[in-house]
Amino acid sequence: MKSALTWDVLAKCSTTKARAAVLTLPHGPVNAPVFMPVGTQGTLKGITPEQIEGLGCQIMLNNTYHLGLRPGQELLDQCGGAHVFQGWNRNLLTDSGGFQMVSLLKLAEITEDGVQFESPHDGSLMLLTPEHSMSLQNSIGADIMMQLDDVVSSLTTGPRVEEAMWRSIRWLDRCIKAHKKPETQNLFAIIQGGLDPNLRKVCIDEMVKRDTPGYAIGGLSGGEEKDKFWRVVSQCTDLMPRNKPIYCMGVGYAEDLVVCVALGVDMFDCVFPTRTARFGNALTSKGTLSLRQAKFKDDFRPIEEGCDCIACKSYTRAYLYTVVTKETVGCHLISIHNTAYQLRLMRQIRESVIEDRFPQFIHKFFKDLFVEKSAYPEWAVNALKSVNVDLMGGEEASK
Amino acid sequence: MLTFNQQPESGIRRGRLSIPKKDGEDSVQKRVIETPGCLMYSAKGSVPHLTPDNVRLQDFGGVNVSMEHLLQNHHPAGLKNWDFDLAKFLHLEEFILLCQLRDTSAFTKLAPTTDRFVTLTTFQGIRQFTLQDYFEVVSAYRPDIVIAFTDNIAETFRDPSTVLPGKKRVQRSVDRSLKWLDQTLRVRAGGEGGQDEAEKKASKNESRKEQRKKARFQQTAETSEVESGSGSNATTPASTRAATPSDPATTTQTKEEAPRSWADVAVFAQVHGSDLVSERVRSAQETAKRDVDGFVLDVSGLVESKSMTKNAVLNCIKVSTDHLPTDKPRLVYGIQTPEDVLKAITMGADLFDTSYPFHLTEDGKASLYYFKQPAIAGSTTTTSIGEQRWINLWDDEHGDKFVPLLDGCECYACKGGRHTRAYINHLLKTHEMLATVLLMSHNMHQYSKFFASVRQSIEDGTFQKESVLFNERFGVEPDRTGEIHAAQAIVEASLTRRANRLEGAEEGVVEAIGLGPSPAGTPVPQKRHSEDMTGHADKKPKPEDMA
Repeated sequence: MKSALTWDVLAKCSTTKARAAVLTLPHGPVNAPVFMPVGTQGTLKGITPEQIEGLGCQIMLNNTYHLGLRPGQELLDQCGGAHVFQGWNRNLLTDSGGFQMVSLLKLAEITEDGVQFESPHDGSLMLLTPEHSMSLQNSIGADIMMQLDDVVSSLTTGPRVEEAMWRSIRWLDRCIKAHKKPETQNLFAIIQGGLDPNLRKVCIDEMVKRDTPGYAIGGLSGGEEKDKFWRVVSQCTDLMPRNKPIYCMGVGYAEDLVVCVALGVDMFDCVFPTRTARFGNALTSKGTLSLRQAKFKDDFRPIEEGCDCIACKSYTRAYLYTVVTKETVGCHLISIHNTAYQLRLMRQIRESVIEDRFPQFIHKFFKDLFVEKSAYPEWAVNALKSVNVDLMGGEEASK
Repeated sequence: MLTFNQQPESGIRRGRLSIPKKDGEDSVQKRVIETPGCLMYSAKGSVPHLTPDNVRLQDFGGVNVSMEHLLQNHHPAGLKNWDFDLAKFLHLEEFILLCQLRDTSAFTKLAPTTDRFVTLTTFQGIRQFTLQDYFEVVSAYRPDIVIAFTDNIAETFRDPSTVLPGKKRVQRSVDRSLKWLDQTLRVRAGGEGGQDEAEKKASKNESRKEQRKKARFQQTAETSEVESGSGSNATTPASTRAATPSDPATTTQTKEEAPRSWADVAVFAQVHGSDLVSERVRSAQETAKRDVDGFVLDVSGLVESKSMTKNAVLNCIKVSTDHLPTDKPRLVYGIQTPEDVLKAITMGADLFDTSYPFHLTEDGKASLYYFKQPAIAGSTTTTSIGEQRWINLWDDEHGDKFVPLLDGCECYACKGGRHTRAYINHLLKTHEMLATVLLMSHNMHQYSKFFASVRQSIEDGTFQKESVLFNERFGVEPDRTGEIHAAQAIVEASLTRRANRLEGAEEGVVEAIGLGPSPAGTPVPQKRHSEDMTGHADKKPKPEDMA
């Protein structure tokens, strides 16, 4: 299939499956591994495009379902796409709109045709077919677009999982056929199969034949046990072609990012940093600060020492305590900080892979965040062990 | 100290407010405020919707900060922890910082001012703010300019048929304000609190009651502020000290910790008089005798009363300024719209605040008005009657207008055509905060350009002529009714419906045919990252969490 991207691996970790690369897309280069903030409705929670660029963000997400409703396809066609519409000149990635089926809606009916659901805004019925999703995403004009997949919760068991997997493959074929701009927009396939390794293998075999510019691991981050989650991710990265970017959708927390990079994942997205910012929660390398708490009222330190975001350069926790959840600037400042935190984390990961000291970075990261080894999450310990990093045994025990 | 240089030749006042650079490696050269000009209105110490980088893109030289926005229950005692001043705390070091007692964007009525306190509305509740409290706050904040503790007659009258205060009440406010002004100037000069014996005794008793009340506020405030699962309530030593009726010596300025000197803080005195000419004259004449650095005329109460015409209110300004020295600046609150500003300038006003662009922004409006210079470069300056002074971005008609708010405008939102009316309409309809960021950037910029043009025309001698043209073009601002736009009502109703509809989905089970149960609507399970400093629920709390 035609590709509008190039994928250049700069370095590989000699211990884990991590790699550092440059993903070059129509709107510029992206350093990988990469975390993509989510600007659902064509905006990132009150942060201006200039501020987002200033944070070093090279790619962010828009949501097809929401933009399809408002401003709608016609307006997007009229002005030339979502980049122009929101004044964002770097890269965009759109999901298919399918995830909203699982996350937003009480009633949805899935047929071979597509997904029929009720709009939460005005109750009207919408049918999202692979063709319609492609058409919408073509109008939005994102540099990477996702196939419409039959999303099944990772907790589902039984024949429904396999049915969804096969349907996703069929829908991928329909998407490829309907995609009108492969020269400027890259269609990614989404591997399904639930938590069943056999189904995952079948899905990968089939989808790889379609030779899309990149692949995503879908159907996870739905509340499944983390110990099962990482095994699926690891299996996928083992089987997927290594000369293309691999994207794990909906991930996530800082420790999830670190572990999944070690397992070989290149791209991530999650609403968490900006969503939690709205509630006054600031992310730091030592944990989350809930700045609404009165205990910060006389804390004259920045959110995180050494952070160069505008919140940390301008204000102390004591001041932020007075404005978070009360003034819009409070939300903007914490959103900027949390995005800066996530992007800085990825930068540090990437540098450590390039300098081949990723395992040392992992050890330090977990120590800073959890302090005591007894507090390290078991799933993370297991996952890292599978790629030769022994969190419990200390750095000497890792290569 | 503040310097106010006025250009004497012009018939209309034209000046500049500046603060000389202080000694010390940390000090910065502050911006100047050209007059007629503005201070930026702030809420809780921030210009609404604008982060520090975006604030600095604006041309204004000063910021207006309200004490009641920042006051917390453990203040002023807790301010002793400050080894910096307010400018640093708010990251406004390069701006001229002016402190007023109360919010200046809208007149709100509260409990009556008494001989001992002014009532403030803080975010933690209603607060009786004494002169002593005020001195402690000022000595901790050390802004560039502080407005003297004053009686602004902000109460709701007992007799609801009275719209404006009676003569006795007005006289009392003039007298009280003068007395408090004298005490303020004495303390600034390093003198005593300035209370006579009877007052000191009365304030000791009052203070004990006030302390107990504060302590009650404190405990309830802290209980409601702290999230579950966080461990202990962090209390600072100062707050626990206030929990018991304490030694009177500690309720006033503590002897052992002398408050920091604020001798170089400029004091602006408020002149009063309501709508009574004799009182306005008396207040102005008496206040003018004092060694203050500037004057404040707050006519927002008169405007709010709606029992006077705008012109009558503006005349009140002139009655006062006729008796004020010409070499000191006059700051007016309550006069906001461009046409009112033009008139107030002829009445002797120098400074205003940016409440007007703030109100426009809250309503979803973007200004189109201009003074003297046409907005579009190169267009003809023929007078047109009834030009649009703003557009409301909630209106459907903007939904497909891929043009900037105002063609040729150099503000952040419009520059280079990066953001469009269509996009801002979309942001409003999707309830996204970037809408107000862009509108505020634009409206503030337009207001500052308006003032810059006004100043230019004063220098050119064309001020009167251009004022007439402005009024012909743009007429009079309609009153804000507080009604929200129909489109906004639709969005808010739909958000409520969505919230109701999603209640089931987000909490637990998604009842979708063919989709199994899923624990959460969002990609991220709810229970993670509990509301405390620990990284995880299963992480052992660190010692500093328990502070």
